[in-house]
Amino acid sequence: MCTKYYKIFLLTFSFGLLFISCESDEYSVPKANTQLHNDVIKRTLGPNVVGLDIEFAYAMALGCERGHIVSAEVEASISGATGTFLEHRSFHTDNGGNDVGVVVGEPSITAENTTKVIFSVDTCAATLRYYYTIPEEARGKSVTFTFSSTASTGERVSYQMGPYQIAKMNIEKDIVLSNDDKCFFSIADMKVYDEAEALQRTDKIDLVYLYRAIPGIAFDHALVSPDVDATFLQGKTVPSSIDNATLIQRAFGLQDQHLARLQFGIYVDDLDFQTLNISDASNYAIDLRAEYGAWIQTVDNKYRAYVYVNAVNNGDETMTISIKRYEM
Amino acid sequence: MKKYSIVLVILVGLFGCGDDYYPVDEDGLLITDRAECFVSNFELLDTDYQTVRTKNAVIDTVAQTIDVEVRWGTNLKRLWPQFTLVTDAKLDPKITDWTDFTDISSPREWTVISGNRKVKKTYSVNITIQQLNP
Repeated sequence: MCTKYYKIFLLTFSFGLLFISCESDEYSVPKANTQLHNDVIKRTLGPNVVGLDIEFAYAMALGCERGHIVSAEVEASISGATGTFLEHRSFHTDNGGNDVGVVVGEPSITAENTTKVIFSVDTCAATLRYYYTIPEEARGKSVTFTFSSTASTGERVSYQMGPYQIAKMNIEKDIVLSNDDKCFFSIADMKVYDEAEALQRTDKIDLVYLYRAIPGIAFDHALVSPDVDATFLQGKTVPSSIDNATLIQRAFGLQDQHLARLQFGIYVDDLDFQTLNISDASNYAIDLRAEYGAWIQTVDNKYRAYVYVNAVNNGDETMTISIKRYEM
Repeated sequence: MKKYSIVLVILVGLFGCGDDYYPVDEDGLLITDRAECFVSNFELLDTDYQTVRTKNAVIDTVAQTIDVEVRWGTNLKRLWPQFTLVTDAKLDPKITDWTDFTDISSPREWTVISGNRKVKKTYSVNITIQQLNP
């Protein structure tokens, strides 16, 4: 009995399947939107740091038979710093994966917080890049952007992006420290000084750089606190008036993209400084090599910083560093 | 139909008896028949997750000691020891944070517990610091 019902069910199901599978939908090419429309993507990753750029790609198009694009503009809620511009070239990627730019208008003009490109060629589609150089007044605030374009038909479209939080931290790149000359580093100033200069600002000196090649010991390039035990100064004389107690913790594998500018997609952000706990750290970091780093905390805990080692040179006895610093 | 019923009974029987064959301890780890109880390797990491050893640690499984020399300048306040144990063994206390080795005159101790949880051996970790002028 069961078998009979089962067979009937199978037969019905098979017929049903046959009918469904034979049903064919006629495919038709989707009709393109001929109205003026636009879209934006943000190309930069990581925290938004004052002095660095935020990059966007702004695409706009309308039906070619209807007209052409007349202008494109970007309005930032806070005026960009010098260097902010909207590309007057439309970019596309060729078969080799290269970005190819085609001039479509006059170079952009920035008036207050609006950057505008007037098109000079008859084109119905373009992708322009916008580089917003983050100004000092945006530090710790959020920024929004309104991308707009107009067409010869009188149509105007807009696209909102953001808000984007601008980091509180500061950044300084490629500072060269040298063993017997410029070896006194100030976190507050993010600058390196020689001894005479350091004596003018003793309370601001947080780190001393030294290079020592000690047989059998991994020392070489070191950053030490001015108050470090004499053993770690290895004969270097630090004026007694320079005596800040800085906490230093060596780091490895933290090649911050902004500082290192290498292939690593790692970023040190404000939050890292806010949550950093190096109270048990020592007051020295020895055997620093290229791509190493060190977390720093000043004696008054006013500043926390991440120092990245870009390069070391044993012959010249120098170390090139880049730094991100956060004021607590 | 009868066939299916037999298979079902066998499956239920098999899974139903599982707990008796595979007991677990309070940490949810398998308790096995192994009575071996020793450390086979030891590592000591700095805050940058790089080793601070100058050479391989010397593990004496009879005296139950681990002797390790660390680099000159190592910050002994924040080190992360890593033990490699014999199969199925576990460590007590568990290492869940940085360990302070500052007091090198009082070696830190960890107990290795065998897979059958019946053998316990306490290892002492003796730290020495590389000399500046060897």
